[in-house]
Amino acid sequence: MTIEEIKQIIELANESGVAEIEVERGGNRVRIRRAAASNQEYVIPSVPSYAVAPQLAPPPMPEATQTAVTADPSLYLVKSPIVGTFYSSPSPGAPAFVKVGDSVKAGQVLCIIESMKLMNEIESEIAGTIVAMLVESGKPVEYGEAIFSIRPA
Amino acid sequence: MGFDLGEVRRRMPSRALHWHRRMDSTMTEASRLAAEGCASGTAVIADEQTAGIGRHGHSWHSEAGLGLYVSVVLRQKFVDSFPGVTLAVGLAAREAIVEATGVVCDLRWPNDLLIGGRKCAGILLNLESKAIIAGIGINVNHGGFPEQLRELATSLRIAAGREFRREHLLVELLLAMERYTKLIEEEGIKPVLRLFAQASSYVSGMRVRVEQGETALEGVTAGLDESGFLLLRQDNGKLVTVLAGGVRPAS
Repeated sequence: MTIEEIKQIIELANESGVAEIEVERGGNRVRIRRAAASNQEYVIPSVPSYAVAPQLAPPPMPEATQTAVTADPSLYLVKSPIVGTFYSSPSPGAPAFVKVGDSVKAGQVLCIIESMKLMNEIESEIAGTIVAMLVESGKPVEYGEAIFSIRPA
Repeated sequence: MGFDLGEVRRRMPSRALHWHRRMDSTMTEASRLAAEGCASGTAVIADEQTAGIGRHGHSWHSEAGLGLYVSVVLRQKFVDSFPGVTLAVGLAAREAIVEATGVVCDLRWPNDLLIGGRKCAGILLNLESKAIIAGIGINVNHGGFPEQLRELATSLRIAAGREFRREHLLVELLLAMERYTKLIEEEGIKPVLRLFAQASSYVSGMRVRVEQGETALEGVTAGLDESGFLLLRQDNGKLVTVLAGGVRPAS
């Protein structure tokens, strides 16, 4: 991969607005992450920031899932319908509703998002395979934030 | 004291009521009924819960014959009032307790009911099967609590010095929940936020600590935002919004 090609990938990432992109060609791999750009989406001046979300950057993804899953248009993104706290399991210590690699059916419960003690079960709208869990359990999520990516069946 | 379901049925003849002497959790049963498509307002009541559910895996101490343990299935569409409806259920429980017993509780955001800083009722809401399932546990006739709960829990009997009929409390609770769901459907969440601010000493001017996992925040409460989230003014002057977590007075 040449410097020119890498420049083009950066431009592509900037134009498309994706947070992160990874490209592999001929044994070379490059990953572009636009940290500054994604920060801007989270800073809303003169509006109080969320107490449980003091960090401005999106929550870090587990290492295994840091593969630009939000940039792949063939993947379906499950987004949070509300502001709240993300839980991957019904209670602490219990097995997660789903894990990466699991096949899910439409209507299957993927996680819980808690908002003011209201526990919202988030169901999958499509059938497919879980590619990534984009938020760590116990962390805050914003309205519309991508929480899972699913490869449609 | 026994539980006279017949009296509740006489007061609310058209209401679907499922009473159980002993069951794991009213939430589990209400969840099953909701999945089957039961009517809005359907209530599951237990005399004793062997696995009462609190928030996110906590258990709820549910002794036989002493408390009111009920889960109600709500099918109203609270589109714009969501998740503030959780505050309305707390207000409904508070009003029901006043009506049935004369005891006035404080509300700790979002919906714990306290007497003298100790919890006498807890509320949990689940959104599933396109319904909200509201679980309410009220300590009614408990004379005391196990060692580990003694500093945290109280009951209406301990507060008032006498026992109360749980049937009366159930009827008042179901009626109050009807009033609040109607209020939200007609006027949205705004009046609920105003009433909550009046009823709760926690909403403004209280120095609190908010535990959230491994982090904690401290500050003075500064009202509710338009959705019903608690605002907190930190010592550095920054205003932050509390989404969830245990809110406790800070010394």
